[in-house]
Amino acid sequence: MPTNLQAAEYDTVGQRRWVWPAFALPGVVWLALLFLVPFYAIFAIAMGRLDPILNRPIPEWNPLYWQPDIFVEALGDLFGGRIGVVALRTVAYVLIASVLCLLIGYPVAYFVSRRAGRWRWIWLLLILAPFWINYLMRMLSWVNLLGGDGQVNQLLGAFGIEEFPNWLSGHHYVVILGLVYGYIPFFILPLFAALDRIDDSTLEAARDLGASSSQTFWRVTLPLSRNGVLGGLVIIMLPMFGDYYTPNLLSGSPRTRMIGNTIDQFINQTTSQGSLGAALTVLLMVFVAGLMLYYLRTINRSTEEARR
Amino acid sequence: MGIVLPVLPAFLAACLEREPDAGPSTTGAGGPGTTGDGTPATTVPDSGMAVGTPANPVQQPLFEDNPAIESGLPQEDGPLEIYNWEDYLRPRTIKRAGEALGVEVKVTTFFNEEEALSRLASGEFEFDVWFPTSQRVPVAVAAALIQPLNLDYLPNLEKFVWPQLANPYYDLGSRYTVPYVTYTTGVAWRNDMVDSADIEGQANPWDVFWNTEYAGNMGLYDSFTDTIALALFRNGVADPSMATEADLTAAGDSLVELIDLMNVRYTIDGAYVGIPEGRFALHHAWSGDLVNSQYYWPKGSDITVTRYLWPAKSQGSTVSGPISNDTMAVPKNSRRPVLAHNFINYLLDEEHSLDNFGWVGYQPPQNGLTSEYLIGDGWVPDYLESALVTPEDFELPSAWVQGPLDPATERLWNDQWTRATSGG
Repeated sequence: MPTNLQAAEYDTVGQRRWVWPAFALPGVVWLALLFLVPFYAIFAIAMGRLDPILNRPIPEWNPLYWQPDIFVEALGDLFGGRIGVVALRTVAYVLIASVLCLLIGYPVAYFVSRRAGRWRWIWLLLILAPFWINYLMRMLSWVNLLGGDGQVNQLLGAFGIEEFPNWLSGHHYVVILGLVYGYIPFFILPLFAALDRIDDSTLEAARDLGASSSQTFWRVTLPLSRNGVLGGLVIIMLPMFGDYYTPNLLSGSPRTRMIGNTIDQFINQTTSQGSLGAALTVLLMVFVAGLMLYYLRTINRSTEEARR
Repeated sequence: MGIVLPVLPAFLAACLEREPDAGPSTTGAGGPGTTGDGTPATTVPDSGMAVGTPANPVQQPLFEDNPAIESGLPQEDGPLEIYNWEDYLRPRTIKRAGEALGVEVKVTTFFNEEEALSRLASGEFEFDVWFPTSQRVPVAVAAALIQPLNLDYLPNLEKFVWPQLANPYYDLGSRYTVPYVTYTTGVAWRNDMVDSADIEGQANPWDVFWNTEYAGNMGLYDSFTDTIALALFRNGVADPSMATEADLTAAGDSLVELIDLMNVRYTIDGAYVGIPEGRFALHHAWSGDLVNSQYYWPKGSDITVTRYLWPAKSQGSTVSGPISNDTMAVPKNSRRPVLAHNFINYLLDEEHSLDNFGWVGYQPPQNGLTSEYLIGDGWVPDYLESALVTPEDFELPSAWVQGPLDPATERLWNDQWTRATSGG
C-alpha cells in the first residue's frame, strides 16, 4: 500500500496515475499522425501560395505567413457564389438520405434487436454482409444493375413494364437512394447496439403501469434509443457530406453534383485551384465537426441526466 | 519563330536562378525567338516558357546544371522505375523489355498530370522514365523536372519515328523528349442510335452535342481543358489558347445550356466503356479511347456501329479540333539514366511499339504503322480509320495543339467549368 507521501502518485485503485492515461497513448499517436498532421497540411495548403512555374499550391507551414484570403473566397463561393447551389444540394441530399435511413433502418434495428428471437444473429450477419464488400464495388454493381440492359430493367420487363427511365442519366432520387443503400448498414449497427442495451425490465415496468405497446415504444423505447439514433445519423452523415463517387458513378450529371465533386475537381483536375479545394475541405470539416459537437453535447447531457 | 508566353513574369529569374546555355540559335531575352534564316529558334526562359505550335516550333533551352548524360556509358543495374498513367503500357511489352534489357521493370502510376508534376517536383521520388503530354514539356523543362536526352542512345528515334515528331514543334531536336503515342479529340457515336448525317458533312460537327435528338444519351469528358475547348470550338473559336474572357463566358453559357437541354453527363470512361455498354449514343472522345473501345463491347454485340470523327479533318467542316501526343522523358533525378534511355529506345522500335499499341489502343507515331497497315493487318477496324492519326494531321490549319495555361487563364477556364458542372 502506498504511504501518504506516495499517495499523490497513486489513484484510488492503487495504480500509478500515469498508467491509465498511458492506455490512450496509441490512440493519441494515431490521431496525431493520421488526423492532426494531414489536417495541418490541408490547412497549410489553403493558406499557402502558388508555385509560379508549376502553377500548383505550395503549403505555407509557418502560421505567421498565412493568408486567409482563400477562405473569404471559399465562403463567397459557398454562400450565393458559383458553388452555392452545390452546397445546398449536398445538404438536401444528405438530409433526405438520412431521414430515409432512419425510416428504413429503425424498424430493421428494432426488429433484429428485440423481435428476431433466436434468429437475430443471422439477421445481424445479413446486415453486416455489405461491410465485406468495398463501397465502390457495391456502387459499381449498381451501375450494371441499373444499366439500359441491366437486371433492374429486365425485371421490370418481366412484369410487362416496357417504359422505364434511363436510371443513370442524372436523377436526384437515384443518387439519394444510392447514398441510402451505401450507408444504411452504418446506421443500423449502432442503433441495434443501443436498442439491444435497453433493459427488458424497463419496458415491462411501462407495461405494468398500463402503457400500451405503442405508448411503451413512443415513451420508453424511442427516448432510450435516442443516442443510438443520433450516433447512427452522425456516422452516416459525416461521410455522406464528403461523398463524391456515388453521384459520379450513379449519375455523372451536373444536376447531381455534390460538394465532394467540386472539391475533387479543384484538387484533382486543376493545379491552381488546389488551395481553394483545400479551403473548402477545411470548411466542410468545420461544418461536420459542428454536427459532431452537437452529438457529443447531447450524449454528455443525457449521461449526466442518467447519473442524477 | 518561337512563342514566348509572357504569363509567368517571375519565372525562372526569381525562382530558379538558372541561366540557359547560350546555344547556336538562342535569341535574346524577352522577344520571340527568331533566327536570320527563318529556322526555328530557342526561347529563353527568364521571360517565359518555350511553348511551340506546329506553325511556330521551338527548341527547349539547355541549362548548365542539367546536362545530358555522356555517350558510351554502361547500362546501370535495375530495377527500372517507370512513372506512367494507369493501363498506358502493355504488361507484356514491359515484361519483354525487362527481359531484353536484363532488368526488372517496376511501374508506378499517376491519376493525372497535376499529381505527377507535384510528385516529381517534390524531389522525393526517383523515377527513370516518365510519360508527360507534349503540352507539359515546357513546364517540365522550365521546372527542371526532366533531363536532356542523349540521342546517341536512341537510334530508333530517327529510324522509326515520323520525321514530324522525331523533331517535334514543342521540342525541336528532341532535346528532352521523344514521342510515345498520338491522338486527336473528336466525336464518337453509335450509328444505330445517332444519325451519322447529323455529324458527318456538317459545317460544325461539335454542334451535335447540342442536338436535342440525343438529349439524355450524350456525354462529355470530365476534363475542364478538353470540354471548355470543345465549347469554344462549337462557338466558332479557332484557337482556344487565344480565347478572350467573353469567349470563355460564352463557352460556359453553352455548357450550362447543356444541363437542361441535353441532360449532359460528364465521364472519363464514357467513350470507351459507355458507348459499348449503350449508356451513351454520343460522347466526346479521344481517338485512342475509340480504338480501345472495341475490346469493351459485350459478347455478341454489333461492334461495327462505332464511329469517330475529328472535326478538324471532316469534309465540309469549318471548325478546329485538338490533336496532341504524349512523350517519354527521363526525370532529372533518375539514378539509371542509361537504362532509361535504353528502355525508351526499346519502345521506339516499330515492332515493340506495335505490340504495345495492340493493348493500349493509342497510336504510336512509327513510320511503318500507317493507317493502311494498321487496318490491313487487322489492328484497327476499317470503320474506325478516322480515329487514326497521320503525320500530316499536325500540319492542318484546323488542327489545334494545346499549350500550358497560366494561372490567371486557368482560373478563367476553371470558373466557367465550375459553372458548367455545378448544375445551377
